[in-house]
Amino acid sequence: MRGAAVRIEHLTKVYPDGTRALSDITLSVAPGEFLVIIGLSGSGKSTLMRCINRLIEPTSGKVFVDDVEITALPPEDLRRARRQIGMIFQQFNLVKRATVLTNVLSGRLGYVPPAWALWGYFPRELREEAIRHLQTVGIPEKAHTRADQLSGGQQQRVGIARALMQDPKVILADEPVASLDPATSHSVLKYIEDLNRREGITVLCSLHFLSLARRYGTRVVALKAGRIVFDGLPREIDEHRFKEIYGEEAVEVEIA
Amino acid sequence: MQRHDATSGLPRAPELPRPGLGALRVLAWILVLGLVYAYGWRVTEINLVELATKWSLARPLLTDLLRPDLVARVPRVQLADAGVGLEGTPPPAPEVRRPAGQVTVTPASAAIGQPVTVTGSGFAPNRPVELIWKDQAGSEAPVGRLTTDAQGAFQTTLRVPEVIGTSNHVIARVTLEGTVLAPSNTLRLTFYRMIETVFLALMGTTMAVVFAVPLSFLAAKNLMSRSAFSLAVYFVMRTIFNIARSIEPLIMATVFAVWVGIGPFAGVLALGVHSIASLAKLYSEQIESIDPGPIEAITATGASMLQVVRYAVVPQIVPPFIAFTIYRWDINVRMSTVIGFVGGGGLGFLLIQYINLLQWRQAATAVWAITLVVAAMDYLSARVREKVV
Repeated sequence: MRGAAVRIEHLTKVYPDGTRALSDITLSVAPGEFLVIIGLSGSGKSTLMRCINRLIEPTSGKVFVDDVEITALPPEDLRRARRQIGMIFQQFNLVKRATVLTNVLSGRLGYVPPAWALWGYFPRELREEAIRHLQTVGIPEKAHTRADQLSGGQQQRVGIARALMQDPKVILADEPVASLDPATSHSVLKYIEDLNRREGITVLCSLHFLSLARRYGTRVVALKAGRIVFDGLPREIDEHRFKEIYGEEAVEVEIA
Repeated sequence: MQRHDATSGLPRAPELPRPGLGALRVLAWILVLGLVYAYGWRVTEINLVELATKWSLARPLLTDLLRPDLVARVPRVQLADAGVGLEGTPPPAPEVRRPAGQVTVTPASAAIGQPVTVTGSGFAPNRPVELIWKDQAGSEAPVGRLTTDAQGAFQTTLRVPEVIGTSNHVIARVTLEGTVLAPSNTLRLTFYRMIETVFLALMGTTMAVVFAVPLSFLAAKNLMSRSAFSLAVYFVMRTIFNIARSIEPLIMATVFAVWVGIGPFAGVLALGVHSIASLAKLYSEQIESIDPGPIEAITATGASMLQVVRYAVVPQIVPPFIAFTIYRWDINVRMSTVIGFVGGGGLGFLLIQYINLLQWRQAATAVWAITLVVAAMDYLSARVREKVV
């Protein structure tokens, strides 16, 4: 299927210790989709995300982003391809001792001349753009605060602004709200949903809670032990499917 | 595991230990502790009677500690000099800056044993004059005492003494009435040694940093656990650091004082070698505790390897490295005092000399200077660390 934002073909990842994290995953994500990936801890969600921008090298299989075969790129081209794939992390992964502004600007590193970046120099337009992205996520006044002074929700919003700074076509969000409380979770997911709706950025987002998946996803893929066990619309997940994904013992927990 | 009472079904109360046994055990412990402390009392020769009755012996020391040798009353003097050239050499120019009067020697070129006339004018009237012969090697010898006349002038004849070199000076020192307060010799010496101490610690720390930064990467487990070889390097480095750290800097200073001679350089080497090990250990632990998250995040933005290091690694390790280094400098200033006792230079070297000469007031000056420097370094390093981390 050409024209897909992200296309994954027969992707397999076996870790050096023999753990089979992903087995023969084939998946195609259309531009503008908000794809939610659900599954238990250890089902392969994070590995799948990281194989898309090759933070983790897949063992076999192919990954295409915008019809460019990521898995075939030499290092320098891979670096360039990564620029259009924003990533948001469960632990935010901000540089804690740096200011919020520096953290946001670091999203642009793939574009700026290396010498500028080594001196910590970013031109005025970029700094203004960074402030604009901070406005988008509602914390422009925090620009000169150190990242570790912020609350979890604010840190994740800085993470989103950093991803926006990349001018991405695709955003990979790896459990973006797993470290946040329910109210903050919704506010963060709404920002991501906004980007998806307004800017047309394709989103692949892994989530723990089915209620959040139902609320935000336009499509849900469920992983179990490295395999896709469900691929469909959020409302198609009934009691039976739920037990299939999460196991017989599981009880669905609502998140307000 | 809980046992249940058959009749009520409630958990049964745990059995209490028999009271007699517990008391005996406590008694036995008291006895053992009593023996330990009794032996300790004897072995360390604790003598409270002496402590209470002989405090007066320490009184002079303690009072001297409270009145350090800081300033001295020095006589006010007027100085002037004239050059004398020997064996045909032309006389050198006078070397006293801003002379109070004028001194001339005739003839200005003379030979050893030859009489010369020294005249002076423009000094204070009716005051004692001391004539000093200063040879080319800088050693001074008194060659005459006289008094200025009512016009502040004097004249005398003396023989050229047997001196070294050909460029000589005759210095006239006229003592005036009254004295002035000036920093004492001890204070001047102490001040100079104080600066030496701070720089001794600085150089030792700097030397340690130069070696410790690269070595610390070899001693970081997270970087070195990739292959069997690198893991072996890691263990070797760790072992070397542990051994180096366990050697007292005092021993190192003694060795280096023999090696490069008594003085601050021996101290720099001793502190440097000791600090390499402790800094490398602190640095490597910092590298081990680095958060991989930012590295992953910056890599994901499409940044280059160098940019990842600059934006994700450097901010995580540089501030703590600076903090550790300043802390180490602070420690080294403290340590340099003790290092000085065994010939490592600095304030400690001065202090031990005063103590050995029983010059308590001078020793007190050094002690206060050490206190001052250590307190200042402590405060400064705490402030800087607060800022950096």
